Parts: sequence; structure tokens; C-alpha cells
Amino acid sequence: MTEAAEVTISLDGDGRTYCPAQPLFGEYVFKNVLPGDLKAVEVAVLWYTEGKGDEDLAVHAFWRLNAEEETLPDPRRPAFFETVLPHSPLSYEGRLLKIRWCVRVRAFLHRGKEAFSERRFRLGDVPAVADLG
Amino acid sequence: MPRAFPLLYPKKRGHRRTGSKTLGSVGELVFFGIFFLAGVAGLILILLTVVVPEWRVNHEFRANQATVLPGSRIGVTPGEDGPLYRPEIHVKHTVEGVDYGVWTYDIAGGYTSGRAEKEAVLKCFPVGGRVACWYDPLDPNTVVLVRGYSWWTILFLIVPAVFLFMGAAGLIFSVLHWGKSAERRAVRTQKAQQGDSSNGNGENVYPSVPVRTDITNSPGTRLRYRLPIEASPGWAVFGMLLLVLLWNAGVAVMVCFAVGGHLSGGPDWPLTLFCIPFALVGLFLIYVFFRKLLIATGIGPTLLEISEHPLYPGEEYQVFLSQTGRLKVNALTLSLVCEERATYQQGTNTRTETRPVFKQELFRREQFEIPPGLPFETETRLQVPLGAMHSFKSEHNEIQWTLVAEGDIAGWPDYKRAFPVLIYPPDGGSRA
Repeated sequence: MTEAAEVTISLDGDGRTYCPAQPLFGEYVFKNVLPGDLKAVEVAVLWYTEGKGDEDLAVHAFWRLNAEEETLPDPRRPAFFETVLPHSPLSYEGRLLKIRWCVRVRAFLHRGKEAFSERRFRLGDVPAVADLG
Repeated sequence: MPRAFPLLYPKKRGHRRTGSKTLGSVGELVFFGIFFLAGVAGLILILLTVVVPEWRVNHEFRANQATVLPGSRIGVTPGEDGPLYRPEIHVKHTVEGVDYGVWTYDIAGGYTSGRAEKEAVLKCFPVGGRVACWYDPLDPNTVVLVRGYSWWTILFLIVPAVFLFMGAAGLIFSVLHWGKSAERRAVRTQKAQQGDSSNGNGENVYPSVPVRTDITNSPGTRLRYRLPIEASPGWAVFGMLLLVLLWNAGVAVMVCFAVGGHLSGGPDWPLTLFCIPFALVGLFLIYVFFRKLLIATGIGPTLLEISEHPLYPGEEYQVFLSQTGRLKVNALTLSLVCEERATYQQGTNTRTETRPVFKQELFRREQFEIPPGLPFETETRLQVPLGAMHSFKSEHNEIQWTLVAEGDIAGWPDYKRAFPVLIYPPDGGSRA
């Protein structure tokens, strides 16, 4: 039995808080994926909301790499991405609402299989609501 | 632990679900497919049974003369609300030497309520009379005595048409989203909405920070901008008045029936008991209306001006407050307030929950009087907290900052007036 495909994301200065309008560098690495397995890869830098309200999601940067455009990465090597982060919305830990920033990588494999990974990060340094006044 | 089968009943986490996406997409396709097919079937049925036969009568049927025979009658069929009727005129007409005897009237042959109308139709066709008729050249047994179109069929067409359009729209939506990730769909949606909130150069400097030009379009007399009030007291009173009138009109009808029953000696106690809670709510609404009216008319306008806008965390601003009216004030306060607002779907209802998460009192004064014609005026300092979250608005979530003036007036209901402001993210040398 073949092992399940995996993808791992790393960000520069892993775990640090990123400043608005500054660059974000990252890489993703596949495991158990051969060059012929990949149909497409999607990389997205995005924010989404969590909490009481229905989820909102907005994508800041998006790349779709596919075989048709011959942009597929070699899954045996790390692939890189880079973007300049926006001024807003900043990461937020409220009572009804939380705003999360993350990088998501989705690899679409043959026979409808998919490998997915998400790596969260903080944009800005807004303290959690309880810490304010 | 890996699952062998797709999760049919997914958990909801916001809009993210943990079930099988493929199954969900198939379910959507099936759901909208059923709508679409129902619409197509309904349209075909109405076209074949009503529209096409009527068109043929008006365009393909041949004119002839018929003789009214004895035996004309009113056809009866049972309906949900009583019997339904149609006129059935017994006629004979001759085509190429062959006589055809039939009971007929129009091509639809539909039954409707109202026997008297059908009896009137029957009287228009006396036995032995010669009348115009139109027959189907393919089948001379199909004869009608009236032509034209039944325009009510258009109403019947609306129902399947709605099904068809809903189904088609849903199918197109499902097909366009088939196999696409949430991120790819979001990108597509964002592209469609692009430009709505841009700064005019096609670039939105502060995404998700609301744009409100109404805050800075009114100059102040003491400071740079006069802030707009969140909800004008006049409109709030008018809205309340409408609600009071509508609610109490409905209650009045019920009360009339209930009281009428009592006066006529046949009291309807279930109706009477049913009326009581509605009447109490009606009285409460009247109380709220007069309270709002008192506040709007008795307490003069509150004006708020600010030295700069938008606001930035850590920075300091001047705020000017003016309150008019002939008032004996127990306490007047001005605060900077932050509220979170979340909108969510609960069953078929859309609910919004609001929660204040920050309040900073900027000004407070107690036990003073505002004489008529001389407004109370004060200027105060506003320091936006250094770590304050910026204003934020997305489809279902919002962070709103307001300056709130609250008054505790002797002999009057307390009042609260909010003036929205925008707080931008900390300045990174990129102020617009």
C-alpha cells in the first residue's frame, strides 16, 4: 500500500508576527508525491474569520500551478513563494470574532486525491481583546 | 484516524464543513437538477395542454357552421372547494358530407367555479340555432365554438419558469464551482467585486476596512469634521410609529371580533385569550414609541465634532461635544466604544449578535443644567489605545468603533446617541 501524499509549509522566521506591508517568504515540501502524480498545486495566502458569525474568507495572494501551463513544481524539491502582506485586516482575537491569517497549499493529485496543508501566522500585533483597557 | 467512508452528516465550523466535498457537490447538482427538471416538465405540460392547442385553434382550425342540438348541459366535476362547472354545447357540423356530433365549447375544456355563468353561456346557444364553429382539419370531431387565448395561462407559466430559472442558476453555479477549492472560488468572487472598495487607482490600501465618505463630508464649526449620528432620532421615531400602527391595527381587528362576540352574547373565549398577549405587546410598543418621541423632541440634538479622521491607534485627537435643550442633567458622558458584530445563519433565520469589547470614557459631568438657547459645549481629548484593532467589515463580521454620548436627564428617559468613527491600522508610512 502506498503512503498518503503530504505537503508541509514553512515560513521565514517561523512563528514570528509579520508586519503589514512587509514581505512574507515561504516554502512547501511534498512527501510521497512523484512528478507524475501532480495535476495542479494551489498556494494561497489568505485570512478567514472564526467565531459566532458565519465564516468570511478573502485571499490576498493566490497561485495555481498546473501541467497545462507547465508551471507545476518538481515535487521532489522544495517550492517557494513570496508576497508582500497587506495593511489589513490584522490578526485579531476578539470575543465574537477572530481573524486568522494563513498559508494554504493544496495539491491536486490524479484519481481525485488531494494533499492539503495550512500554516497559520499573525499579521500585526493587536493584543487579544481581554488585554485592552 | 482515517475514515473509510465519506462523512455524510458533516460538522459545521462556520462555513467550513468536514464532510465530503464531492458528495456535497453531487447533492447540490441533484437538488438543482430536480428543480430544473420540474420546471422543464411543468413548462412542457402547460405548453402541450394549453398553449399549443390554443395556438392551433387560432391558426390551424378551419371555420365552419354548426347546428345546436338538444342535450346541451353543464358538466360538473368535484373540486377542493366545491363542484366545478363547464358548458357542454351539443352541436353538429358537416365536413365533406360527413356529419360530426359533439359536446364542446372551448379547446381548454376546463372546469371552473360559478354555475350561473355557465348557464348564461348555455342560453346563448338555443336548440336549432346556427352558430360559427372551428374544427381541427386533422380530426373534425375536435370542434370549438369560441377562439382566443386564455391569458391566465401566463400566470401558470410563472411557476414552472421560476423552478426552471432557479434550477438552471443553481446548476450553472454548481458546475462552475465543481472541483474548485474554497480559495479559488474566493479569488473568483473577489475579482468580480474588484473596484467596489478601491481607492480610485484600482488598489485598496486597507482591505476590509470600511470606506465611509459620509463621516468627513460635513465640516464642523469648532473642529474639522462634524460626525454623522448612527441612526437619526427622527427616523427611529418614524420607524417606531410605523411598527406601532401596523401592530396595533392587527390587534384592533382581533379585539373587534372578540368584543363583538361578547356584545352579541356569543363570547369567543379562545380568541379573547389569544388577543391578550398581542394587546399587551401593542401597549408596550406604544410606551416605547412615546419614550422615543420624548427623547427626540424633548432632548435637543447632540453634535459631535472631531479634529481629524480617520483615527489611528496611539494618536490623540480633539472632540467637541454640544448638547442643546432645556435640561437638568444628572450625568452626561462621552465614550469611545468598540463593538463586534457577528451575523450567522440559524436554521432559516439570519441572526446578528453584537457585543461591546472596549469602552473608554472620555468625558463625564454630573449635576448641571442646560438653559434654553444656550447649548452645553465642551472639548475633550481622545487618545486611541495603542493596540486598538482597526475598524473591520466583511460579509458576516464587523468591528465597529463609535463615540457614544449618554445622558441621564432628570425627569426624562435616559438616552444614548452613537457617532461612528473609523480606526485605521497603525500607520506604516502609508496614509492615504
